[in-house]
Amino acid sequence: MKRDELAASLTARFGDRILGVDAFPGLLGRVRFDSTIALELFRAFRDDLKFVHLTMVGATDWVDHREVFYVLWSDADLVYVLLSTNLPPDAPTIASAVPIWPSANAHEREAWDLVGVRFEGHPDLRRIFMPEGYAYHPLLRSFKIHEPEDLEVKVRSD
Amino acid sequence: MWVNMGPQHPMTHGLWNLRVRIEGEIIKDVDPEMGFLHRGIEKISEDRHYNEIITLMDRTCYVAGLSWEHLFIIAAEEALHIVPPERAEYIRVLSAELQRIGSHLMWYAAFVQDLGLTTPFLYGMRDRDLILDLFQTYTGGRLTYEYMRVGGVRNDLPLGFTARCRQVVDWLMDRFVEYDRLCLSSTIFRERCDGLGLLSAEDAIAYGVTGPMLRSAGSRRDLRKDRPYSVYGQLQFDVATANTADVTGRYLVRMEEMRQAVKIIRQCLDWLDDNPGPVMASQLPRWLGAPYAPVGNEAYLLKRNYPTGLGFSMVEEPHGEAGAYIVNDGGEHPYRVKFRSPVLINIWAAKRYLPGYRVADIPPIMGSVDVCVGECDR
Amino acid sequence: MSSASLFSVSDTIAAWLLAHIAYVFPPPVKGWLTSGDVVLGLTALIFSAILLGASMINVIVLIWWERKLLGRFMDRRGAMHVGFAGLLQNFADGLKLFRKDTVRPTQADELGFWLSPTAYLVTSLVIFAILPISTGWNGGSLPLTLLLALVIFSFAPLFIFLGAWASNNKYALIGGMRSAAQMIAYEVPILLAVVAVVVLAGSFDLTTIVMEQRNYWFWAPLFLALIVFLTGMLAEMERIPFDLPEAEAELVEGWNTEYGGMLFAFFMLADYVRYLVGSILVVLLFLGGWTLPSYVPSVLTSFPLAGIVWFMVKVYLVFGVFVWVRASLPRMRTDQLLRLGWMRMVPLALLSVILAALVVAAHCLPVLGCVPSMGG
Repeated sequence: MKRDELAASLTARFGDRILGVDAFPGLLGRVRFDSTIALELFRAFRDDLKFVHLTMVGATDWVDHREVFYVLWSDADLVYVLLSTNLPPDAPTIASAVPIWPSANAHEREAWDLVGVRFEGHPDLRRIFMPEGYAYHPLLRSFKIHEPEDLEVKVRSD
Repeated sequence: MWVNMGPQHPMTHGLWNLRVRIEGEIIKDVDPEMGFLHRGIEKISEDRHYNEIITLMDRTCYVAGLSWEHLFIIAAEEALHIVPPERAEYIRVLSAELQRIGSHLMWYAAFVQDLGLTTPFLYGMRDRDLILDLFQTYTGGRLTYEYMRVGGVRNDLPLGFTARCRQVVDWLMDRFVEYDRLCLSSTIFRERCDGLGLLSAEDAIAYGVTGPMLRSAGSRRDLRKDRPYSVYGQLQFDVATANTADVTGRYLVRMEEMRQAVKIIRQCLDWLDDNPGPVMASQLPRWLGAPYAPVGNEAYLLKRNYPTGLGFSMVEEPHGEAGAYIVNDGGEHPYRVKFRSPVLINIWAAKRYLPGYRVADIPPIMGSVDVCVGECDR
Repeated sequence: MSSASLFSVSDTIAAWLLAHIAYVFPPPVKGWLTSGDVVLGLTALIFSAILLGASMINVIVLIWWERKLLGRFMDRRGAMHVGFAGLLQNFADGLKLFRKDTVRPTQADELGFWLSPTAYLVTSLVIFAILPISTGWNGGSLPLTLLLALVIFSFAPLFIFLGAWASNNKYALIGGMRSAAQMIAYEVPILLAVVAVVVLAGSFDLTTIVMEQRNYWFWAPLFLALIVFLTGMLAEMERIPFDLPEAEAELVEGWNTEYGGMLFAFFMLADYVRYLVGSILVVLLFLGGWTLPSYVPSVLTSFPLAGIVWFMVKVYLVFGVFVWVRASLPRMRTDQLLRLGWMRMVPLALLSVILAALVVAAHCLPVLGCVPSMGG
């Protein structure tokens, strides 16, 4: 599959919600999409385009917006593709990919923990590295490394 | 009853917590908890010059430092538009494969120790030391190497290294036979390992499990073949697979991977013998060598001409598929570095492959995952 | 065999000591001090002290032997630095444990927590009082020594479970339960294997059993019973491959997870006391005790204390087999262990009882000549 084929088929299906398919070194391309079609796009990638592996979910804080990216791998074409979407910084929320790829669970917990992106419909959106009740998301640009910590440690009762 | 296996527990081989709900001796549910070793490597990387991040890469996985250096270097060179000389690529592949043997030997030692086999534990550690000795001769370090550089590797191999390396891998090939005799021919070993921790290829893919765990289920997925990076495309080797999808299968895959690594190492050594040359790219930007402005000469910073770019790399690390994603928005530090740790996902999938077995099966099953908490928590 | 015995040695020491002490006292006290009762009492004390000291020294040498042997199996040297070839290493370790703080978890039951290691060590040591080491070198000589030894040997699960329960820890509890299940399960094959020996020897007295092996050692006709007994002893001793009560990979340290310092040292010492007792029982029941075959030149058996020397050599060799097993086998799982016990070991032991009966019957055939001492 070529990048323009991918762009054509995606645009035919999702119209202008696909904001562009850019070139990306070493990958099939970078698909920029509107976050409202996240679930349908994921399903299309898994079922129709056979991208069965979800390799990576991460987020970048660009101060004026937060970018969430997904890296998928296709066993048929032996190629990676990167999906990326921008979220507003005051309410960074996107549909969870867990119903499509169960492996998104840990990735999304990590993205929530470190960058503070909320994943709607995630079954268990807890912090994964930082302790429960930690007040910050450390990979945000606003996080100061030397900030004094007001860390409260919760003791679980079960 | 919820039992906390960790964070200080012999089974964990590191610092994480496996919460297990058991009824009698049967596991009903598990909940892995990570983060005890979180050092914020991704955050620290945002404040570091590219060649300084390599120091951190040695600390991500402390038994496969060179593999992680390799991973980062590929992405960083892509983001900075630098092409290394071919000899450096061969040295990197040689290092990565030696590191794979070292890491698998460490895994072997820890895994048999979990089963109560103390003798092969020491055999594994003894033979891993030979690999570390080799590393010491050309990187100077035994655990943290800081060897690879953006644009090549720090120094060429020393005189006589290839001969010594051949001796070591020849000796190791004999030891692999001994390992198999110690383990596979033991009835108790087979009883403890056969049919445990079953994870089919479909489940493994759905849960994101990669590396020897996926290949033990019959999948032939190996990034070195499917998406050849570095010079793997020019080397001959087979993908190690098994079809039992259990602990024994993972053992067999790792043993075969070590043999294949020896095969790759021999080819690399032959090539390196025949093709002397530079090991660093000649056209490196000046700021890569002098990251900070000289004191009193801060205007120097403004004269720099930074490239921008994106870097993405995936390598077949000993534990599975590791990934790096680098955003370079122009500057001496990357804007964002994101790593994919195979171990995090492999551990997390314990929810799928652990319930239904006994408490006594946890050590062999989790041992067969090959946990390295350093890269899991980063 | 030498004429000296443990009792006569202690008696001599006691009489000599009392005679010298009595020398400084006026006549009435002097007379009482040298009377038979006082001498006997002091004899008993000295007797116990020698037994305790000898067994403790043996236990520590046993640990050294295991460490050195294990080191060789693993392509290393074992302890090397303290004393000659590391002989004093274990004393140093013991000293370290001795000066460590003994910490009791706040939620643990105080009485059970302190009682369990002490009782475990004491009951293990008591067995030495009745084990014969050579002719005359034994404590109590009862008609049922073997049975008594086995009974005391099987006290262990009680105290292990007490300690596990008292320390109020999940790992300890699981380990304690496993330990109890395993020891009780392996009592059966062990006793059956012992029955085979008893049938052949015609006695429950260990000295008699050894004496009955003057023609042939019992391992030859009772090879099956020896295998069963060795396996069962491994399980009773909780050594690899049957060390699941303290399987460190999943249960941290099993039933002694919460114990540290001297209390842990008690547990460990008691474990090695049990290893020693187990090896001694194997030697006594199957390997001819302190005797050597009659074709061995008499120069090897006629020097003083030859019986004890050969006995200890055999004991250490048998323990070497246990170490060898530990160096080469992985740990089993609880269900596999119990299945092995009930499905394999019990039938084998029953078979060996039948074999023993056949051997006894064969002795009464005219061609072999009836052995008169059968049936005691």
